[in-house]
Amino acid sequence: MKKVFALIAVAFALVFTMVSGVYAADTAKVRVVHASPDAPAVDVYVNGELTLENVAFKANSGYLDVPAGTHDVEVFANGSEYAEGEGVLRADLAVEAGKAYTVAAANTVDALEFVVAEDSMEVSEGKAKVRVGHLSPDAPAVDVGVIDGDALFSGAEFPGITDYAEVDAGTYDLEIRLPDGTQVLPLEGTELAAGTVYSIFAVNNADALEVIALVDYESAGSPGGMPTTGLGTPDTQQSSWLLMVGGLILVVGASGFVWKKRIQN
Amino acid sequence: MFGKNAFKTKRLILLSLVLLAGCQSTKDEVSIRSENIEFSSKQSAAVTLSHRPAAENPINAAKREGVKPAKVSIPAIGVEAAVQHLGTTKAGAMAVPDDINEVSWFEPGYRPGQNGRAVIAGHVDGLDGPAIFWNLTQLKEGDKIIVEGEGEQLTFQVYAMESVPLEQADVSSVFGYTSSPELVLITCSGVYSHSMGTREERLFVYASHIEE
Repeated sequence: MKKVFALIAVAFALVFTMVSGVYAADTAKVRVVHASPDAPAVDVYVNGELTLENVAFKANSGYLDVPAGTHDVEVFANGSEYAEGEGVLRADLAVEAGKAYTVAAANTVDALEFVVAEDSMEVSEGKAKVRVGHLSPDAPAVDVGVIDGDALFSGAEFPGITDYAEVDAGTYDLEIRLPDGTQVLPLEGTELAAGTVYSIFAVNNADALEVIALVDYESAGSPGGMPTTGLGTPDTQQSSWLLMVGGLILVVGASGFVWKKRIQN
Repeated sequence: MFGKNAFKTKRLILLSLVLLAGCQSTKDEVSIRSENIEFSSKQSAAVTLSHRPAAENPINAAKREGVKPAKVSIPAIGVEAAVQHLGTTKAGAMAVPDDINEVSWFEPGYRPGQNGRAVIAGHVDGLDGPAIFWNLTQLKEGDKIIVEGEGEQLTFQVYAMESVPLEQADVSSVFGYTSSPELVLITCSGVYSHSMGTREERLFVYASHIEE
């Protein structure tokens, strides 16, 4: 009898382990940004596997789905042969499921370093969220604010990424300026859209300062459940009842047969 | 104790189990066609390069607007369909057209061409037979999906397909944000469950936007 139960167990296991494998929920989102002005284009290896190829200065990977956990991230000059530990930059990156991260390779090539920040994936209705990253190795501390107005961010220093500020959606005449008010880079007519989370990174050397703007998240509606996209096959309803009755009769009959056998033995 | 008769007994019990399984979930062509269809290309090593002329203010170029879709075509399986703009049913689920030859875009979600996953759903079958997404399981990696709307034409390329039990389907992922424009097609798959009043699985086709 044991063997019979084992077979039944296998049959049930097969029925109940149809698990989706493509998009597991335990992943994090990771985005890599090349922010080192004098470094060549790079290849990025994650756990020894070539994951990003030929990432040039100011380019970013977009969000990649990465399993939660700690990953060995190593950066090589584009085209170089992979050898563990031989990269220009290496770090263990710990990521949590359901969170998003920006990993910027910053500073000059001889002092390359990772700047890591957790990215926001939520924003209040009608609001925009924004933060700035100071990734220009030789630029002094700066403020970012409204021209002739208040600073949104004060004293941002290299290398660092500020917390987010949530603001009303709208168009702002922004500027990057020194704490004494001297304008470094104008950003007039900046449209900060409702339901959008922005990262604005100041990159390149101080004498060629520029910004790269990334969208970290945009909100959108989602339903409470999946659509019902088949009207079904009602004509099989009857035959399925017949099948069930037949199945039950067989089970009852078969188990009665077993009883009889056991009693006989 | 286990002679020839015992072996027959085992077979009888197994046979009856098979029949019982059959009663809850009647196999039909849709369920057979949606077996073993999963595929997924390795996540591409695509690097987002500047794909538009640098605007004067780079912050204003960071977003993509996308379009409200009017028509979707899938040449590989001969699909051409008008796209309705629908939200949710009273029960909160994604709504679908009454007309089984039309499809619906989930309007409160992302627009096709906007960063994020835009979702279009269509029926696999109706009371009398095949509906607009009957052949969705035949799609292969690399097949193209064309979305037209607001005078624009956007091309998406299929990169993954999966059929997932309804209770395991992850709404936050399927309708979620991605940092590039994606399109997800949904239809019903698996066997019909009378207790659930719908098929037991949903088929998801994932496609990413390509410049053409």
